[in-house]
Amino acid sequence: MMRPGVKPRVAFFDFASCEGCQLQVVNLEESVIDLIDIVNVVSFREAMKEHSDDYDIAFVEGSIMRPMDEERLKNIRNRAKILVALGACACIGGINTLRNRYSVEHVKKVVYGDADMDGNPFFDVFHTKAVGDVVDVDYYVHGCPINRDELAKVVTSLALGKKPEIPNYPVCVECKKKGNVCIFERGGFCLGPVTRAGCGAICPTNGSGCEGCRGLVDNPNTDSELEVLEKYGLRLEDALGKFDIFCYRYKGEISK
Amino acid sequence: MRIIDKKDFIEFVNLLITKDARTVVGVKAKGDKFIYDELASADELRLDFDVTVLSPKKYFMPPTETLLEYDLSSDFKVMSVNEVTPLIIIGIHPYDLIALQQMETVFRDTYPDANHLLKLERSILIGTNMQNVSPHSFAASMGTATTRYGYDLMLTDIGDSYYVELGSDRGEELLERYARVSMPDESHKKRFEAVINGIVGKFQKKLNFPADELPAILAKTYDSDLWANKAEKCLSCGSCNLVCPTCYCFDVQDVTELNLRKGERIRTWDGCLLEDFAKVATGENFREDRASRYRHRFMRKGKFLHERFGFIACVGCGRCASGCLPDIADPVEVYNTLKEEVL
Repeated sequence: MMRPGVKPRVAFFDFASCEGCQLQVVNLEESVIDLIDIVNVVSFREAMKEHSDDYDIAFVEGSIMRPMDEERLKNIRNRAKILVALGACACIGGINTLRNRYSVEHVKKVVYGDADMDGNPFFDVFHTKAVGDVVDVDYYVHGCPINRDELAKVVTSLALGKKPEIPNYPVCVECKKKGNVCIFERGGFCLGPVTRAGCGAICPTNGSGCEGCRGLVDNPNTDSELEVLEKYGLRLEDALGKFDIFCYRYKGEISK
Repeated sequence: MRIIDKKDFIEFVNLLITKDARTVVGVKAKGDKFIYDELASADELRLDFDVTVLSPKKYFMPPTETLLEYDLSSDFKVMSVNEVTPLIIIGIHPYDLIALQQMETVFRDTYPDANHLLKLERSILIGTNMQNVSPHSFAASMGTATTRYGYDLMLTDIGDSYYVELGSDRGEELLERYARVSMPDESHKKRFEAVINGIVGKFQKKLNFPADELPAILAKTYDSDLWANKAEKCLSCGSCNLVCPTCYCFDVQDVTELNLRKGERIRTWDGCLLEDFAKVATGENFREDRASRYRHRFMRKGKFLHERFGFIACVGCGRCASGCLPDIADPVEVYNTLKEEVL
C-alpha cells in the first residue's frame, strides 16, 4: 500500500490491445486534473513524451502474446509495488483469446501467409495470455473498455491506501437496480447472470445483452446459464458460443 | 367513500401534475411490462397493470442513496444527507402497500431510519385494486390481495367511475382540492363489492394451506433436501432479492472523489443470494454455498422476520418468480412442496 501524503508514481504500459482503455484514462477529461493532482504520472505513452522506470503503480493494458512480452511484463512487475491490470485484454485475455481456438501455426498462416518469420522475435507468438497468467496482479480494472468511474475509484482507493472494491456479483444486480426489463424477456440473450458487474449494466440498459467483457464472477453457475440460454431458444452450440468473444479462457471450465 | 367519474379522474391527475408541488409518479408501460415513473400527463397512467418491474420501494429505499457527505481537505467535516423528493404515487396494488407498511415497521425498529421514514412521511400513496393479476402472483394466499390500510386514497375501477376509499386526512384534502367527486349511492357500493369479491378468483397461483402455517412448516424443513436440489440451478444473481418489495438489506460504502477532498457515504441494495453477502472482514463466509443462501431467503421471509415482527415478509407479488431465469424462486412451489414434506 502507498504511504498517505506521498504522491504515488504511476506508469501506464500497453501490450496487445487497441489502447482504448488508456484512451478512457485520457477521456477522464476535467478529472484528469484531479488525477495528476493525487498521483505523479511518470510514463504514459498515449498521453505524454516523458518516460521513467521509477514507479510505484503500474497500470498494464493488453494481453500477452510472445516471450518478449513476458520478459517485459516481468520487468514491470519487478519495478512496481502495485500492478493493476487494465481492461479485458489484460484481465482475461479479452478479444485476443479468440485466436486460441486455432493453432499458432494456423493463425500465422492466415494473417501473414508465406512471409518468412523464422527467428524474428516479433512474430514468435504463443496462445494469448492474460497479464495474471504471467505475473501476480494486485488489482483488476475490468471491461472492454474500462469504466472511467471504476478506474477513478481504484486510483482513489490506492491513493488513500485502501483496497479497491471490485464487485464479485453479476451484472443482474446493477441491471435490476436500474429497473430494466430483463433482456431475456425482451427476446434477447445475455451473459449478465454470470458476468462480473461494475459496468452499471450499460449494455442491457441500452438494449443489448451482456457479452461478458468483464469476465465471469468468482463462482459463476455456467451450467445454469447455459440451460437458461437454451431454454430461451439457443442451441447448446450457440449458447456456448456466447462465451467466445470475451470469455474464451473460461470455456475449459464450462462443464456441459 | 367518494365517487370520481373517469373523465374527472383524468382531470384530477393532470391537476396534480400541473398544480401540486409534489412530483407525481404512476404506473406506465415499458415495452409489455410496467414501471413506476414520473408522469408527464394522465394519459400515461396504466391502472390496468398486472405488476410492475420494481415496487414503489425504490422511492423510499432508493437503489443507491447518499447517507452523508464528508470533506477531508482541512478539518474533517461530515454532514448527514437526507434527500427527499415528496411524491404522489398513483396506482399501488394492495400487496405493495402492505409491503411498504412492513418496510416502515422494519425501518422504525431499534434505530429509526430517518432516510426511509422522511421520504414516506412526505409522500401520498394512492392505491388501486387489481384489475389484472400477474400469472406469478399469489397475493390472495398471503391475505394481501386487498387491504383496508396503508393508503391515503384507494381507487377501484367500477366501470364508468372510480370508487375511492379515504385512508387519511391528507388523501381527503387532496380530493377536496383537486377533484370533482360525489358520494356513492347503492349502485356504486354494489358494483364496488362485486369487484372486490371478484379479485381473489383471478389468481392462478395458490398456497395449498393457510399462510399462517408457514413459520411452523419452515421450522420443520430446515434440513430438507429441497434447498440443495433447487439451489443447484441458482445463478446467485440476487434478482429475487432485488425485485422484492420487502427485501431491505443494504451495503454501505465510502466513495471519495478523485481529488481526495470530498466524498460520500452511500448505501446500495444488497441481497442474501449474492455470494459475498455474508462474507466478513477475515474472508470467512457464513453462507458460502448456494444452498444455504437459497434457503436463507425463504427462511427469512417466512420464519425469521415473523419471529421478530409478527408478519410473514412475503406479500405474494410473484416478482421473484417471474424474475428468476432458472425458475427456482417461486415461493408457491417451494412452500407447497415443503408443506407436503411435513404432512
